[in-house]
Amino acid sequence: MSRTGSRGVRRIGVAVLAAAALAVAGCSSGGGDQAPAGGGPVNGAGQTLRMWIMEGTNPDPKPYVDELSAAFEKQTGAKLEVEFLQWKTGHDKFTTAIAGGTTPDVAEVGTTWLSEFGTAGAFADLTQRVESAGLGDGLVKGLEEAGRIDGSLYGLPWYAGVRSVVYRKDVFAELGINPPTTWAEIVAAGQKIKAAKPDMLPFPIAGDNEFAVYPFVWAAGGDIATKNGDKWVAALDTPQARAGIQFYADLALKNGFSTPAAATWRETDLRDAFTKGQAAMIISGNWTPKALVEAAPELQGKIGAFSLPGENGGLAPAVLGGSLLSVFEGSKNQDLAWELVKLMGTGEFAEKWSTSSGYFPGTTALLQQAAQSTDPLVAPFAKQMVDAGRAVPVSPAFGQIQAKKTVATMMRSILTGEQTVEQATTAATAEMNTLFSSS
Amino acid sequence: MTTVANRSKAGRAGDAPPARPTRRRTRPGTGTSRPWLLLLPALVVMAGLLLWPMVQVVLLSLQNFGLRELVTGRTRWIGLDNYTALLSDPNLWQIVLPNTVVFAIVAVLATVVVGTLVALLLNRLGTVSRGLVTTAILVAWALPAVTGTYVWVFLFTPGDGIAVQALDAIGLLDATTANPFADRVSFYVIALLNVVHHGFPFVALTVLAGLMTIPNELNEAAVIDGAGAWRRFWSLTFPTLRPVFAVVTVLSTIWDFKVFTQIYLMPGGDGVNRSVLNLGTWSYVESFAQNKYGLGAAIAVLLTVVLLVITMGYLRLLFKEDEL
Repeated sequence: MSRTGSRGVRRIGVAVLAAAALAVAGCSSGGGDQAPAGGGPVNGAGQTLRMWIMEGTNPDPKPYVDELSAAFEKQTGAKLEVEFLQWKTGHDKFTTAIAGGTTPDVAEVGTTWLSEFGTAGAFADLTQRVESAGLGDGLVKGLEEAGRIDGSLYGLPWYAGVRSVVYRKDVFAELGINPPTTWAEIVAAGQKIKAAKPDMLPFPIAGDNEFAVYPFVWAAGGDIATKNGDKWVAALDTPQARAGIQFYADLALKNGFSTPAAATWRETDLRDAFTKGQAAMIISGNWTPKALVEAAPELQGKIGAFSLPGENGGLAPAVLGGSLLSVFEGSKNQDLAWELVKLMGTGEFAEKWSTSSGYFPGTTALLQQAAQSTDPLVAPFAKQMVDAGRAVPVSPAFGQIQAKKTVATMMRSILTGEQTVEQATTAATAEMNTLFSSS
Repeated sequence: MTTVANRSKAGRAGDAPPARPTRRRTRPGTGTSRPWLLLLPALVVMAGLLLWPMVQVVLLSLQNFGLRELVTGRTRWIGLDNYTALLSDPNLWQIVLPNTVVFAIVAVLATVVVGTLVALLLNRLGTVSRGLVTTAILVAWALPAVTGTYVWVFLFTPGDGIAVQALDAIGLLDATTANPFADRVSFYVIALLNVVHHGFPFVALTVLAGLMTIPNELNEAAVIDGAGAWRRFWSLTFPTLRPVFAVVTVLSTIWDFKVFTQIYLMPGGDGVNRSVLNLGTWSYVESFAQNKYGLGAAIAVLLTVVLLVITMGYLRLLFKEDEL
């Protein structure tokens, strides 16, 4: 027994040494002897870089990926291996890859995931590289905010999206309604539609759709949470926030613009109702009009969009969502990975991605270009994003709050009439504060 | 189990079989070690695939293990804090456990009853019609849980779902205002239909296999003695098939206790409607969705213990002491 035991120990010792040697070798070939960041082109001949991209953003990403791989190989000599992840399972895939040490070199990271994984130390700090590449000042603010943890940048803004209102142009024209520019006008428009078309839902309110709630909270002068020093405090129970939520809920409760069924709807159910011709106005993303027409070809030419207005005019701040490109801390090829991030996040390829996907680019220069668009299905979104885009709290705890569905739970219980706005916001605030203080 | 039974029978008989000591004398030691030797490969595989992960889960349940620990590989031992946090959560006692337990009891009962009835029907059918019915129920079984759930959700879609329209037509609800997914009871009724629909074919086929082993003479004799169908089932079929019922009940209990997909995919079942959380969805929302893996491990340990206790209770109930 003792002999086999010591032999076993010795073997383990050898294995550890070998592993350590490999690790050291990996480090030196990966990091040290490459050209410094921002200097000449990185030579990646004979290497392969792995990247994860989310599926569904771009209806047909293949041409983009092919072009990108070719350009990247030409520039650095390295091959590119792209894998597509589902949004639904992506989070778990990140986690298991981190646990198993099988993370790729580069990944697309959703704005709300970044602080969660970034705080845990999964991503490489890109601050220095972004600065020396001269990109520091040209990033879209809401996305940059989402990418910063304690002042350091852990992802390069890639693309962004925002939600405004998609409406039935034909119905509005028929009833002589103009796109609303205040909250009172939304109600007036809804009432006209309700009276003239009783089968139609003027403005359905989905219960499980938190990103449609925040614009109303912000527009009423409230906030989701405020930062005191380095602590977040939930603020949905302030009078302003409550007023915004009350107005939003009353579109369904008091004005009857929605249906009781919508209390359990998700954002996708809103789009289904719209393509079935059952809804006149829905809060929807800038990436959806194309898909809506594809799902219901008979709506071709009948779809319009307007920016979600503020209470008395102006624009309601809207959640700026999107993705950043991050380099995994576990990557042995961080210099090469950064070259890829730079290639995708700036210039030609950033523009290509945004035009082919229907999202907005992550650099201000390109975004300004997009904002000049005269396309009636692009301009209202662009305006909302450039003038009123806003980020949700950048804190790992907010990821937990989203996972726990705190705000969706609140809206559901308001819409079903189980709780008043006051009761539901009090409960949601308490739950958010518990999560903010526990992390 | 069998060895114990054999030995006790041998003991009751009074004299040990003479072959065993003889063999032992010729080759000392091999008598006891050989079975273990033969079992060794299987045991090693089981230990690697089952025991080791279980040990890991128990260890994990004693740590505060989140994303940061996952990335850095550090461990933070916190003793029984995860268990205290779990057991002191009022949601567990007021919503999660009642939902889980009541649903499991009703679903297991319904699955076994429906499955047995279908098996009895199948046993009486001719070859052709039996083939047809078997194929039909196998389709329900072969349907992935995700697909099946979406079908049931589709049927009960508020407003224009077929089932909602039908209930509206007979005046049970108002299709324009009703949302069957919003209410705790109606939510679980739909989930019950889904789970029973998905689970009864297994019971039916297993019980049918058992039924076919009962000699027809027994049934005929009972008929001649004047026993009705009810009497024959309880006096003849059920006692004979007790082991079969034990297996399907235990398996159904385990499945229905940890039902997740069917609940999670229904509107509001993913944590938005707190009043319909069950152990499966609650543990997912509370632990994995929030990256609290230590807490998730603690829930898994508790669930295993609860299921073990229930399973043992069942076995005791179904088999008398001496049969074990």
